[in-house]
Amino acid sequence: MSETEPVTNGTERPAETTAGETDERTREAWREYEFAGETKLAVEDLDVYYGDDHALKRVSMDIPEESVTALVGPSGCGKSTFLRCLNRMNDRIGTARIDGSVELDGQEVYQDGVDLVELRKQVGMVFQAPNPFPKSIRDNITYGPRQHGDIDTGLLARLTGRDDSEAADRLVERALRQAALWDEVEDRLDDNAMGLSGGQQQRLCLARCLAVDPEVILMDEPASALDPIATAKIEDLVEELAEEYTVVVVTHNMQQAARISDQTAVFLTGGELVEYDDTGKIFEDPESQRVEDYVSGKFG
Amino acid sequence: MAGAAESTVVREDTSTYEAVAGLTVGLAAILFFLGLAATVDIVSVTGTLAGLGTLTALGLLLVVMGLAVVAFGLASYRGIFPTDPRASAGLVAATLFSGLWFLVGALVGSETLGLGFGGGLAVGLLVGAVGFAATALPREDIGSTLPAGALAVLFGLVFLLGVVGPEWSWSPASFPDSQSVTFFARTIAPFAVILSALVVGWAAAKAYGGFGARGRHLGAYLLVYLNAIAIIAVLVALVAFVVVKGFAPVTESVTVGLGVGPATTIALFGFSYEVVWPVNWPFLMNGASLFTDVTGVFPAIVGTAWLVVGAVLLAVPLGVGAAIFLTEYAEQGRFTRVVEVATNALWSTPSIVFGLFGAAFLVPRFTPQPQKSLLAGMITLGFMLLPLVVITSREAMIAVPDEYRDASAALGVSKWQTIRSVVVPAAMPGVVTGVILGVGRIAGETAPLLLTMGGGSFVGAGQRAKVLDSFQLSLSPPFVTNPELTQATTALPYQLYQVVLTGTGETAGVTDITAFGWGTALVLLAVVLLFYAVGIATRQYFRSKLTYE
Amino acid sequence: MATTNERDPDGWQARLASRFARMGAVVQDTENDAVAAGVVGAVSLAGAFAGFLVTSPYTSVCIVGFLLSVGYGWVRHQELAAKGVTMAMTVSTVVILSLITVFIFYEAWPILQDRSGQVLGVTVPGLELFTTTAWTPAEGTPRYSMLPMIQGTVLVTIIATAVAGPLGVAAALFISEIAPAPVREVVKPGVEILAGIPSIVYGFIGFTVLSPWASDQFDLVGQGTYLFVGIVVGLMALPTVVSVAEDAINSVPESMKSGSLALGTTDWQAMTTITLPTAFSGVSAAVLLGVGRAIGETMAATVMLRNTPRVAEPLYNVFYGFETLTSLIAANYGSSSGLQKDALFVAGCILFVSVLTLSIGSQLIEERMDHDLGRAE
Repeated sequence: MSETEPVTNGTERPAETTAGETDERTREAWREYEFAGETKLAVEDLDVYYGDDHALKRVSMDIPEESVTALVGPSGCGKSTFLRCLNRMNDRIGTARIDGSVELDGQEVYQDGVDLVELRKQVGMVFQAPNPFPKSIRDNITYGPRQHGDIDTGLLARLTGRDDSEAADRLVERALRQAALWDEVEDRLDDNAMGLSGGQQQRLCLARCLAVDPEVILMDEPASALDPIATAKIEDLVEELAEEYTVVVVTHNMQQAARISDQTAVFLTGGELVEYDDTGKIFEDPESQRVEDYVSGKFG
Repeated sequence: MAGAAESTVVREDTSTYEAVAGLTVGLAAILFFLGLAATVDIVSVTGTLAGLGTLTALGLLLVVMGLAVVAFGLASYRGIFPTDPRASAGLVAATLFSGLWFLVGALVGSETLGLGFGGGLAVGLLVGAVGFAATALPREDIGSTLPAGALAVLFGLVFLLGVVGPEWSWSPASFPDSQSVTFFARTIAPFAVILSALVVGWAAAKAYGGFGARGRHLGAYLLVYLNAIAIIAVLVALVAFVVVKGFAPVTESVTVGLGVGPATTIALFGFSYEVVWPVNWPFLMNGASLFTDVTGVFPAIVGTAWLVVGAVLLAVPLGVGAAIFLTEYAEQGRFTRVVEVATNALWSTPSIVFGLFGAAFLVPRFTPQPQKSLLAGMITLGFMLLPLVVITSREAMIAVPDEYRDASAALGVSKWQTIRSVVVPAAMPGVVTGVILGVGRIAGETAPLLLTMGGGSFVGAGQRAKVLDSFQLSLSPPFVTNPELTQATTALPYQLYQVVLTGTGETAGVTDITAFGWGTALVLLAVVLLFYAVGIATRQYFRSKLTYE
Repeated sequence: MATTNERDPDGWQARLASRFARMGAVVQDTENDAVAAGVVGAVSLAGAFAGFLVTSPYTSVCIVGFLLSVGYGWVRHQELAAKGVTMAMTVSTVVILSLITVFIFYEAWPILQDRSGQVLGVTVPGLELFTTTAWTPAEGTPRYSMLPMIQGTVLVTIIATAVAGPLGVAAALFISEIAPAPVREVVKPGVEILAGIPSIVYGFIGFTVLSPWASDQFDLVGQGTYLFVGIVVGLMALPTVVSVAEDAINSVPESMKSGSLALGTTDWQAMTTITLPTAFSGVSAAVLLGVGRAIGETMAATVMLRNTPRVAEPLYNVFYGFETLTSLIAANYGSSSGLQKDALFVAGCILFVSVLTLSIGSQLIEERMDHDLGRAE
């Protein structure tokens, strides 16, 4: 259970029942809203249960491509659970049960015959705490492609003349440049990644994810363990990445969501998606009173 | 990467292909169990199987399976099936296959072709190298099926063509006559079948997963699951075997009813009261005697009980005390580190070395003449237990969060009070569990007892260690003596060793020494496993109640 | 209190002086009766130890003296007494452990001296024990070669490691990474129970079932093979390997595995490329400990082997089992005396040193793993 979002606790429960009616209205409102880009991920009536706990309740939202979508809400509201449904990382938790539909480019993710390898190659993920592998920086970047057989620099490959070292070098440079880390580590690519600072480690994890060429990048509070300077770097990166990738980022930092995202989804108590709209609209003139209270800091 | 899978996350429908590959894996499993059955003679190698000679039938199966696996590889290579193979089957598979093929080549070269050791080595290396190349160089679908299938086909043909018939045997010439070995078809054939079944099953599982990452995953999981099942099967078989063999001798002429059992006299302050047991269980309540129907292991049970009590009384206070000092008082530095390394090293020191120490250090010191004794056995086992008590107690105390200590200290409670009322209680579950598991281990320990305590192959009930009745006070030093403690006696594991050593128990009224041995083994196993079960259950209980997180 | 780790530049005299000064200060600060009780306790404990060494009947007097002083201290100055007693316990533990080392070497010394040999003009104690191959204590010129037993121990250990190493690591992977929770709840205690089955029970099964079966299957002269002893001993070492390796594998942070899976690897890829390499030190320590168990296993070997020390030929002939270092001691101790008995202590020393080396080695490796993972947090 090390990094799964803990299920909602009892104290947050009552709000969900009292505010039921207004939610229904606002839900209709934001569902009619059309975002600028093509829909990349379409989520329809998603329910998640951990044992008896209903962690996510009938969540539906369309995530447009090449933009930044922020998921905000108090801790325990199910936003991380939602994120982990998008690349089926929740499958790892034995007690989790998932109902509903998630479509990636129109293909159902929750159906028989889905290739998790292919799915996770297309939907990459960066975790809350930096988790580089205890290997060299170079090996961290090439890890994904090597495991997928796209790059082979092993002993056998070198002996039989199938060596991809040059392609690997190009890949390492490209990924590290994209993650704005190249200049800092250019001359120590063979050092152990555990020796980098926290912010560098997190950018390395981003680079590692980019090296697999994903189309969607999921970020689970990527800056929560970092200092302000490292956080700023990550935020700049996220905005840049949105030109090419579909970025979904979980954060509990309102200002961060306001700074970096194109649209924002607000999850409140009990695993409910209360409102989803353009970021500007959410922060200036939300439909729901509860969202207004939350973004203005009255509770949460 | 296959081009078709580039943009889709859903695999193509491959149910027919998967069904066929799955069937092959299932056949490999059947072959595996046939091999196992032949090893233990449930299926006779010289007999028949499904109307054919056993070897012919097995050979046929092997050839079919081998060909099937090779066919998968070829079909995948020609693109008939949608698979996702890598450029090579990899170094690990190549090394394993080259090893297998080296053995095959070396044996054929030196024995069948008669080239001797050097020639065999050369042929083996050559064949091994070919096996390596055949695995490593081609694409994965060929590399992981061809060498595997070929091995099965080779073995199959050897059986089919009668090169190795039911009556085949082979004695290596290089072994001297007094140490000669003969390999019979009935031994070798099942082994070859099991080996091929594993290799072919692995290759078929890879094919089932469409090679690539998924195929490797499935192939590896097949072997890992098989390994886990085998370990559990061996455990269950071992325990069940002892239970089945030992049940009859242990329960011989057990009677239940008021007044049927032996009488125990309880004497306290001059009053004496006789208790008659409502159960008569001869194997557990009798000693060795020519005059009873059933010879039992009562003295050995008493001996084991005293050993455990003595060892625990010595090791637990000493070990826990040392752990308290090391964890709470001593500065954590080089001294504690050295003690830690030394205790760990002693915990893995062979028990026979403890036995030697006990024999040299303890045995000469309790009586004027060096004499094996219960006391020496207790202390030796106590010393064996000591490192474990120190290790587990220390672990348990380190696991107690510092916040507890700080909270207590912040209330102005002194250090010893904190230790006594906070640290030790919190560490207790760990200590108790560790001690119980350790006791389970020393209760079954035999080797040190041979050197320090054991005496008498079969001991009569009257000669059991009557420790409590034998304390004597005197006015000359050492003031307290107990002859029972300084005499040799027996214990359950020692008794079992004596069964093997003597091979007969006629003089002690044992008619069937092997049955007596199984009975003793069952009682010993029950005692030890009881300690383990209680230990594990205690840990489980405390774990569910207490976590420091 | 007794030791410090500080590096004092003033040299050992100054350190000793400061330590005495500190001790003096402690004595000054403590009440007189407590100091007296402490001194009496310490002296009588030392006396008891000395008395025991020379088998004096007055040992019990010293023990009673110690108990009385502890009792007095406990009633009057519990805080100090507790510290003193636990320290005394630590010291006794250390003394006992060092005594074991000292005694087996002390007892082995006579034969090492007696059978020394010359290499390049230097006298090497015990050399003759390793240059001949005969163990013939009953003959006119008795020979006590350790080589047959070393061969036996090496063969048994190799076979046992081949069984326990791969199977144990695979089982550890299964338990910690692969098995669904309900299966794990069964398999894990199951493996622990496997560790609990006494070696003499394994030996008895081997003696009554396996050995006759092996003799029949391979048409051997007599009973007892290194092969089956090795397999049985491997089975006995298996639980050690499994539980230590499982601890190591379990200690690899879940976030690293998730990191790998999120990149689209299979579970097996995550295991072989992330989990196992990260836990490599711990897993190899587990295998080393298993090897140590295999070397030291006594009863199964004693019961299943022939107990007539000689060299198996050819050297890799695992179908004939004569004697291992452990079974030599167990089978011969009762009936030996003089130099032969000392030779058994030599066998004990070899066992002790090799297992000690393995144990310390595995601990150093494990320490490195903690270090690698930055287990400071």
